[in-house]
Amino acid sequence: MFRMILFTQWKWSRLTLSPLVVAAFALPVFSVQRAGNPQTTPWEARQLLSSLESWGVAYPVLATTIALFMAMTAWSADHRGRHVYALSLPIPRWHYALQRFGAGALLLGAAVIALWLGALFAAGTASIPAGLHAYPTAIAVRFALALFLAYAVFFAITAGTTRTAGYVLAIIGGIIAVQVLLETAGVHVALIPFIGDRLILWPGPLEIFSGRWMLIDV
Amino acid sequence: MSHAVDIRDLHYRAGTNFEIRELGLRVPTGSLYGFLGPNGSGKTTTIRLMLGLLRPLGGTITVLGASVPRDIPRILARTGYVPEQPHLYTTLTVDEALRFHAVFYPTWDWTWANELVGQFQLDRARRLSQLSKGEMGKLEMLLALAQRPELLVLDEPTDGLDPVVRRDVLAALLDYVSQQNATVFISSHLVHELERICDWVGVMDRGRLVAELPMQSFKSGIKRLRVANPPALPGDTPFVVLAREAGNGASETWTVRGWQAPMSQYFEGVGASLREVIDLDLEEGFVELLRTFREPRS
Repeated sequence: MFRMILFTQWKWSRLTLSPLVVAAFALPVFSVQRAGNPQTTPWEARQLLSSLESWGVAYPVLATTIALFMAMTAWSADHRGRHVYALSLPIPRWHYALQRFGAGALLLGAAVIALWLGALFAAGTASIPAGLHAYPTAIAVRFALALFLAYAVFFAITAGTTRTAGYVLAIIGGIIAVQVLLETAGVHVALIPFIGDRLILWPGPLEIFSGRWMLIDV
Repeated sequence: MSHAVDIRDLHYRAGTNFEIRELGLRVPTGSLYGFLGPNGSGKTTTIRLMLGLLRPLGGTITVLGASVPRDIPRILARTGYVPEQPHLYTTLTVDEALRFHAVFYPTWDWTWANELVGQFQLDRARRLSQLSKGEMGKLEMLLALAQRPELLVLDEPTDGLDPVVRRDVLAALLDYVSQQNATVFISSHLVHELERICDWVGVMDRGRLVAELPMQSFKSGIKRLRVANPPALPGDTPFVVLAREAGNGASETWTVRGWQAPMSQYFEGVGASLREVIDLDLEEGFVELLRTFREPRS
């Protein structure tokens, strides 16, 4: 049963997933392009770290993109059929949803492995200045955590009805509206940065997306 | 008599415009039950409630001896369902759709499925999105039949299909029923189609069950009578008067239910005379029944 669900997920996602997997492999490789000479000065090493840091933004963006895409394809066929087919199959609904989630999560593994291989390749071929170290496995693990977290969130949202998605958008829109109203009224309360910090900074649930995503670091 | 489907006091509301209230429905085991009703009468909603796709506000539903929604996976494993609209994953090919569907049903019969693919002339390599409406209808029926169900629930299975495809689909259905003694619950607004194949009929309108009886009783019991010198008030009739229409002069046309020949004596008793008894076919009976239900006589 799971094999067939995995097959459908693969069929629905393969065209978009394939280039994203290639991107996951290429990202760490491109990020170390400036690492040329191991005998660099401290200044050049700092330049390299700065370059790697700028590439670091791409990791969570890529993780979010892949996760969003996978979550959408997991449910799009069922949404088109108004879930009648899935609901008429003789398995409990939670069981079906779990298998759909599992199938998507398993395919996300391809992106994690690609990024890990890319990071290993980049670390193996780049000339790393003295005092700096490569962390290919650590960045791959971090990428995997971000990917699965984003996938879980998007999967839950896309599994719901249009009404559910509307509630989520209404909450986000409401927060923005309150912020605008406060600003208009001359009340200087940074509501959006406050909520953003609570979500993204430790111990927020999305902390994994923030901070330094460095393949090479001290 | 055991019942494959037993619905009692069912209550469901969809928005403010549509409501099913106090619905009771019993489908005898082994019967071919025709579920008639005009568009929007609540047939599809009733089927979805029956199969646990919707949750009722009240009442009890028992299908194949198991309770809905508690035992839904067990019920669905023994039920073949053809919904009103095609619901399959259209990006799959016919072969993939068969393989996907088969893994969910322990009673799936590959030999028969392959036979039906040939019989219905379906191209296994073709994507579902490329199938015609007729081919999709055949595939839906194939999937429902090849799982060897004890109960088949078919929601307008031949709606929009051409006569040739309709004949193929119904032939496969009747072939299966004759082999397996399965119960079939078939919803349609195509009255003549049900008249040919069903032995029980339930008529639904505006969320209510108007009538439920053996097809033979339904067909033979509804008559149109031409009555001369009818009484102003029919009084205590041995049959149910569904409608009265004025005719030429002192005559009227009555549409009645529960008619039997000896009942003609009633007219002599009230000073009227019965001129003619006209048989109605199922469609005319169905229309009269709905008309009476919608415009009850005071």
